[in-house]
Order: sequence, then C-alpha cells, then structure tokens
Amino acid sequence: MTAAIEFQDVHFAYPDRPESLKGIDITIGRGSKVALVGPNGAGKTTLLLMCNGMLRPTKGRVLVSGRPVAYDTRSLREVRKSVGLVFQNSDAQIFAPTVWQDVAFGPANLGMPQETVKKVVADALHYVGLSGYEKRPPHHLSGGEKKRVAIAGVLAMDPEVLVFDEPTSSLDPATSEEVMDLLDEMNHGGRTILLSTHDVELAYRWADEVVLMEDGAVLRTGTPEEIFADRTVLARARLKPPAVLDLFRELRDRGVLTDTAPPKNALAFTDLVERRIRGGVRRNGHGTICLRDVAGPDGTAALACLLGGSAKVWVGAMGTRAKKVARDEGIAVDFTYGVIDKCLLRAVNGEDSLILTSGGMIAHTVERIDEYARTSGREIVVRQV
Amino acid sequence: MENILDDYAQQNALRETGTWAKLLLGGGAIAAALVSAGPLAPAFIAASMAAITVGIARIPARFYATLLTIPLSFAVLSAGVILFLSGGGETVWSMPFGGITLAFTTGSVNQAALVLSRTFAGMCALFFIALTTPMVEIFTVLRSLRLPPEFVDLAMLIYHFIFVLIGEALATRNAQEIRQGYAGFGNAVRSFSMLAGTLFVRAWEKGEELILAMDARCYDGIFPTFGGERGISRREGVAVVAYLSVCSALALLSGGIQIF
Repeated sequence: MTAAIEFQDVHFAYPDRPESLKGIDITIGRGSKVALVGPNGAGKTTLLLMCNGMLRPTKGRVLVSGRPVAYDTRSLREVRKSVGLVFQNSDAQIFAPTVWQDVAFGPANLGMPQETVKKVVADALHYVGLSGYEKRPPHHLSGGEKKRVAIAGVLAMDPEVLVFDEPTSSLDPATSEEVMDLLDEMNHGGRTILLSTHDVELAYRWADEVVLMEDGAVLRTGTPEEIFADRTVLARARLKPPAVLDLFRELRDRGVLTDTAPPKNALAFTDLVERRIRGGVRRNGHGTICLRDVAGPDGTAALACLLGGSAKVWVGAMGTRAKKVARDEGIAVDFTYGVIDKCLLRAVNGEDSLILTSGGMIAHTVERIDEYARTSGREIVVRQV
Repeated sequence: MENILDDYAQQNALRETGTWAKLLLGGGAIAAALVSAGPLAPAFIAASMAAITVGIARIPARFYATLLTIPLSFAVLSAGVILFLSGGGETVWSMPFGGITLAFTTGSVNQAALVLSRTFAGMCALFFIALTTPMVEIFTVLRSLRLPPEFVDLAMLIYHFIFVLIGEALATRNAQEIRQGYAGFGNAVRSFSMLAGTLFVRAWEKGEELILAMDARCYDGIFPTFGGERGISRREGVAVVAYLSVCSALALLSGGIQIF
C-alpha cells in the first residue's frame, strides 16, 4: 500500500535565510493519525505547507499517494484536491462574506455544477454541525465556529488527507476537545489526518504516531508512548511529558507501581492504581452503558423511560449529529467530548450512562468498550436502545 | 466588535423580506422625493421611511436618531445658506447686519424648505436600505444584474476586509491606549500616524494570506454567490406598489403647495 504523504530528504530555505528544513524523511501512512510535535520555529508549519504544494522544497521531494508533487498549475490542483490544508488562523482562511460562500469556494473552483456545490456544502456544514449558519458573515462567529467553517471549507472538496496547522490553538478546552472529536470522526471515515501541535496532552492521547521535530530536523518518530517516555529528546525539543505519564513515572520511581507500559489516559491510570492497591480489579457490579443510534428508528419513548428513572444516568453525545439531536430533543448532555472514556469511568464506578451517536461511530464505540472489557477483565454491559 | 450599520442589517425584523422589494421601495421613494416640486411629499416620505425603519424593521430609535443627525446637520447648514443667499418673491424678514442687510424672501424660504425636505427624505430612504439589507444580499443582486464578475468579486473581498481591518485597527488602538498613546495632542498625533502605518503593513500581509488561502482551495477565477435569491412575493409587490403610488401621487399633486 502506498503512503498518503511521503517526504524524501526535504530541504527548504526562504530566500536569503538559513535553511528552515534540513533534510526531512517522513512517511505518513494511509488512514493514520499523525502529530508533528515540536517547539516554536521547529519548521512544523513550513513542512505542512509542503503537503499540498504551497511551498516547494529547495531540495528533495514530496510524494502524495506515491506520486511526486509537480508544481505546474494543473498538477497542483490535483494535489490540493486530495490534500486539504486547514490554517492555524481561521481568519486567514475564511475570506468570503458568508459562511455558505466560503464553504462553496473550493467546490465551485473545482468546477462542480451548481447543484452538486449546493449538496456538498450542505453536507459539509451538516458534518461540522453548522447547518443554519449559511447566511452568517464570518465576523459574527466565535473562534470555534470559525474553525468549523474552515474545516467545512476543506471537507467540501472531499480530500483524502487533511492537514491541520495547530488546530486547537486559541480555542477553549471544551471546544478544542470537540474539534479533536471531529478529527477522530473524519479519521474513522477513512481519511488520513496530519496535524502540528505543541499540546503534548493532545498528541499523547490522540495520535497513532508522533513525529518530534526540532530546528528543521526530525528528532525521533514513534508511538506516543515511546516518544514521550524519552526524557532526553523531550528536553531537547523544549517539551514536557503529559501529566498522566509524569505521574506514572514518579509512582514507578517510588516503587508504588511496577508496570512497564505507561497508561494513556485517566481510565487506564486509575485501573493501574486500583490493581496495585486491591490486587486486582472488581469484575462485576459495574454500570451499564446504553448506546443509541440517533439516526436509527425513533426511540423517544425508550429514552424517556431510561432517563426518567430515579438513578442518575450520565449522557454523552458523540459526533455533531448526536449533539444536534440532543439539543433539539432537549436532552441534557453531561459529556460532549472523550465520551467513551468518560462513560467507561462512570460504569466502573457502578453508574449507568447513555451514549448518543450515529453511523460508523456505533461500531467503533462497541469495539472500544469490548476491548476495554477484555484487557481490564471487567464485565461491562453495552445495551443498544 | 463595534456595532455598525451592517450588524443592524443582519438582525433587523425585515431581514427575510426580499432584497428586490426593499431596494425598489427605497429607490422608488428617493425618485419620488426628487420629482416633487413642493416640500410636502418629501416630508411625507421622510416621516414614513423613518416610521418603517424604526417601527417595522425594529431599528433602535436612539441609534437611528444619532445616525440621522450626521447628514442632517449638514443639510440644515446648507438650507440656512440657501435661505439667505437665494432670492425671488417678496422680502419676508430683513435685518441690517454691519454694512450689509441680511434678508430672506418667500422664494428663498420655499427653496430652503424643499432642499431640506428632499435631503431628509433621501437620507431616510437610503438608511432604510442600509439598515434592512445586508451587503451580502446586495452582492447577489449585483450578480443577477450581470455586472462584471471582477467588480462584484472585488466588492465582496473589500467588504470582508473592512471587518478584518477594523479588528486590526481596534487592537492596535487598544495597544496604544494602554500605554498612554492618546494622552495629550502630541502623543495622539504620533500614535495615530503609527496606527496608519501599521495598518498599511497589516493590510499588505492580509492580502498575501488571502492569496495563499485562495490558492489552497484551487482558486480558478470563481467566487460563488448564493444562487437562490428569490424575486418579489405577491404581498411584497402589493405593499411596494401601494406605498410608491401614494408617494408619487403626493409628489405630483402637492407640487403647488408651498409655504408662501
């Protein structure tokens, strides 16, 4: 299988400046989630601008879907159609007077007929949860909404690879998590995602693979666990380890924990500690996780029955569609991001929860919960309602 | 963000009314006011336009009044000048002033009243359009009028960049203000010139960013506009025709009614 994007000995220098990229060799696998991590000025943005031919390497070459990028107008159009780039600053990306016109810009310029443009724009806006915003001028939107418009504008061109430069900088934490969930959703839909960040927590939790950059070169590539466990390279790249990893390491150094594999999140971490203290985990007595497909047959009555009981049922909405349904039906949502983990944490504590989601995310959710049950040895009941 | 005209246009109660109807209503009212020979019809148009803008489109009266005082202060000044400088008819009032005699005549009073009422009517009709029709809708109309796409595309980009640059200007001004940039006349002049210089550079940078952003999405000379701009509905058509008929009838019939 060919790689989605491949950099082969890529060098780059802005005119009359020292080299800002000094021989980059990276392969971005198809369908993967890759995070470029590094300090300011490491060359992350420069590298990302090469993914769709915005910048041309001074030496070396960039391959998209196995073919070297050519820099004539026609080839660039092809490359930019298959690799969508979302800038760090949404204001720099959105320039049309209305949301609709901005999202329609790419499709219209790709020569799609008017009816197709209307359809893909409606779909893209629906996907990012901005249906009904068509006529709004961008300067009336919040930061998170602008980011979603920028994503929709790229998504409307239906690229195979999406490249994000610092997708969560200047967004508040909850909005950041929601945008990251959106990225996950797109990845489950089969798209390759490459992003740059210096948010180590995000990279650690989210990425399949991390590329650590410093001063125009790649320091190390590997899984998040490998990269963030390497204190020497982290210090060189002016980064700090994620909090979970830091705590884990300190506990291990004190001899409290003896495991070798670091936990990835709060759920795995609390399980480690519980195992250590109790000599194992409780197998049963856990809460039930109900799963509801918001696109499925009407389940208003079942939901009302489920939520109407005396015990608290936590509600999580995953994906923009589920969030919209929850809003429309007046369901109070407790979790809007990291939903599966949060519901698993509740279940472990013996509390019940309900996950609203749709489409391919259902199978993914079931799979994720089963996997957790298998590896942790707990019995957790998933019930589709 | 400053609340400006366009923000009201985005939120007013006539937002969903057809663009063509609003443009015809405002434009027709201006034409009727210009045709009228007497001040009565323009005065009616000014009053009714103001009533529609504040009463039906729900533009805050205080904001509307503030907005009107700007052009009207000029109109009142010019009417004053016309009052004393033009002539004709009998002298109504005169007063020796230094070496000269200040006087106004029946002709000059009529002339001043007409100019003042026409200006008033024109401004009220124009504000009606400006406060009820967002620029975005006007672009669609320009497109459907088959104006050159280069002109309309450029207008849309300029429109967007007004807000970008207002944002930049405000941010720079705040940055200067917190460091006493506008304390005293000398500082203010210096700061303002720096603001203008910075804004120029920023505008240039924004322009380069724009080219990147357009290129990244395969710009090929097409700037999409909303396709589905609807025409005038029957109800709107009846309302516009009724209002304009009253205005033009008044303009044609009341031309002879003068103050003197």
